[in-house]
Amino acid sequence: MRDLVVLGGSSHPHLTKSICRNLTIEQGQVLSKKFSNGETSIEIEDSVREKDVFIVQSGCGDVNDNFIELLIMISACKIASATRVTAVLPLFPYSRQPDVPHAANITGAPLISTKKDSYTFESTPSTPRPLSRGSSLNQSYFADSLPLSGNNNNNNTSRDGLLERATLNNLKQPQPTKGTYTPRSIVTNSASTNIPVVDAYGKTDNGYKQWVAQNGTLIANLLTTAGADRLITMDLHDPQFQGFFNIPVDNLYSRPLLKHYIKDYIPNYQDCVIVSPDSGGAKRATSIADSLGCSFALIHKERRAKVAKNPPSTYASSSSSSVNLLNSVSTSHTNVVATTMLVGDVKDKVCVLIDDLVDTSYTITRAAKLLKDQGAKYVYALVTHGVFSGDAINRVNKSDIDRVITTNSVPQLDNVSVIGPENFEVLDISRILAEAIRRIHNGESVSMLFDHGW
Amino acid sequence: MSTNSIKLLASDVHRGLAELVAKRLGIRLTPSELKRDSTGEVQFSIGESVRDEDIFIICQIGSGVVNDRVIELLIMINACRTASARRITVILPNFPYARQDRKDKSRAPITAKLMADMLTTAGCHHVITMDLHASQIQGFFDVPVDNLYAEPSVVRYIKEKINYQDAIIISPDAGGAKRAAGLADRLDLNFALIHKERARANEVSRMVLVGDVSDKICVIVDDMADTCGTLAKAAEVLLDNGAKEVIAIVTHGILSGNAINNINNSKLTKVVCTNTVPFEDKLKLCPKLDTVDVSAVLAEAVRRLHNGESISYLFKNAPL
Repeated sequence: MRDLVVLGGSSHPHLTKSICRNLTIEQGQVLSKKFSNGETSIEIEDSVREKDVFIVQSGCGDVNDNFIELLIMISACKIASATRVTAVLPLFPYSRQPDVPHAANITGAPLISTKKDSYTFESTPSTPRPLSRGSSLNQSYFADSLPLSGNNNNNNTSRDGLLERATLNNLKQPQPTKGTYTPRSIVTNSASTNIPVVDAYGKTDNGYKQWVAQNGTLIANLLTTAGADRLITMDLHDPQFQGFFNIPVDNLYSRPLLKHYIKDYIPNYQDCVIVSPDSGGAKRATSIADSLGCSFALIHKERRAKVAKNPPSTYASSSSSSVNLLNSVSTSHTNVVATTMLVGDVKDKVCVLIDDLVDTSYTITRAAKLLKDQGAKYVYALVTHGVFSGDAINRVNKSDIDRVITTNSVPQLDNVSVIGPENFEVLDISRILAEAIRRIHNGESVSMLFDHGW
Repeated sequence: MSTNSIKLLASDVHRGLAELVAKRLGIRLTPSELKRDSTGEVQFSIGESVRDEDIFIICQIGSGVVNDRVIELLIMINACRTASARRITVILPNFPYARQDRKDKSRAPITAKLMADMLTTAGCHHVITMDLHASQIQGFFDVPVDNLYAEPSVVRYIKEKINYQDAIIISPDAGGAKRAAGLADRLDLNFALIHKERARANEVSRMVLVGDVSDKICVIVDDMADTCGTLAKAAEVLLDNGAKEVIAIVTHGILSGNAINNINNSKLTKVVCTNTVPFEDKLKLCPKLDTVDVSAVLAEAVRRLHNGESISYLFKNAPL
């Protein structure tokens, strides 16, 4: 292990320390501080020339700060002639792709249509107009910018005005017969001839579906650009994330650890029910249930614009008690009714909720309540990444979850002190990470860690 | 059908400059929304179609949570790229990490280069910036960089607000001598230099004045004012050497740490910054601060870039 250097970012110094202890090496010294203007300054105090460098940084705390710190450290090692730089991200930042804002009555971009009577083969389709949003900031902004298009006051002609403007630059197109084109206020420079039509009248249904940034590829590319040669992470939210990278990604699993816990610490574990709190995690939960020989249940949340007429007939595993809990959840778009239903039987059983990431803890606490309502005896929650942001930890404390088991992929000291060590257990992943680092450094196979843990 | 029009986007934090530029261009800012979830991760959505449009993203980065602003900017760029924008131009008046532009110690990062790489990786096609700390940073990019100058705007300010026939231009360190000398030439004024021996970063030790400043209005010119320790010390040195009055003009007024206190307690009559860095909140705390508006320069650069016209006119002239 002569050429092995392990450096730690400021997000999780404890984990770095225990990884180094497991590897029986000294941790590389890094001086990380902030300039007075908030910029991050990194000094790597040990030589990394021709070394195999591993940088441990978890995606917790100030996510963006820690991520930039990691990028700067990778880049610093790279230009300091390190042979290979591996980023170790136990919790991968930005691994959850945001949902595209979805409402049942708005289905994607509007259909392009013109009025039938004015339709010609030459007519140009109109540009979709932006979805008007109710926030006061934009309202006032639109109000400010109204004079720009103030000549176009007539509601009925606004659409024709749009059409007209669209064809204005192309003289081959016939001018639509309807509506009169009123020139904009004085055009001062050429850029302002293309003023987009202000959406002050258009509270119509033809909205442009908001574009939501999908950050996954960006984060992957940034790590590669900074100079990372390899990546170690754990329980990626989406396994497809590995495909965003052009470098090898070792996605370790906490499954062996969780399995060990269930086997060793849950009495009569064969009788317990493994429960997935949402349909996305079903695969994760079933694989544990299968390998332990436990039965399995699933909590499924449906979002519908109206109350469901009938819950979809459930192909229930056993005596089939499919239950509907109607929680009315009002989102920004429309009044959506969330139907939470449990598939499977949990009456008088010990339930083990399994999830990869708990952040706001709404899903898992709601799931626990549902399980208790359905007669569950005791509810464990096994979570790989217990982020517990905001007041989530208090919510968990007050909830029906009897015992929380998580790993130290993010610092858990504060959380333990809130819930108390008797009901909050932390599994150590530093041994898995250390073994992965050792194996990667020595060029041995890592796949054995996927099944057996360490 | 694409209109290939200018679409101006801005972060939700500092919109002041972006709104000024938008007003100059006679357009409105494209509605967009930045959300931060409870863990601090950023989600960004654009409120209207940007397909095949000419995108300009204005990002003001001051002091404080620089890294958050950088990640937000990268996400905005990437969002535009994946939304099929024709061209994405980033307007970064104050380039972040510009001072970490060389490997000054063993194993020190060249973070400015990293920033350049990240901007390119995120998908920006063009960068507009202003008064780069070192113009060599342009070479860190694989995409075109337009480094605009605040000098024409500063010249106008000096001519309008300062009795400049009695003035002398001062460079507070040897590195800024060229900038100060250029300004002195434009105004046909004399020029003096303060040489300092720096012990540690952000700390000033000893200063030596080169040149005669007696009975003159001294105008200290620099590209960046951070904690303002240098400026305060320089003002004292100048007054000790018989200067009548000391005014500081800096392009990027980052004013971090206890800069406001340093200015208030110093012998500077006035500290003038351009609005590349948001410091509206600090104007109330410090009566000595004054602003030079550079939005006209940026707006004209955007217009010229969009129309494929030359930008070099702006190096010598400031549009009104």
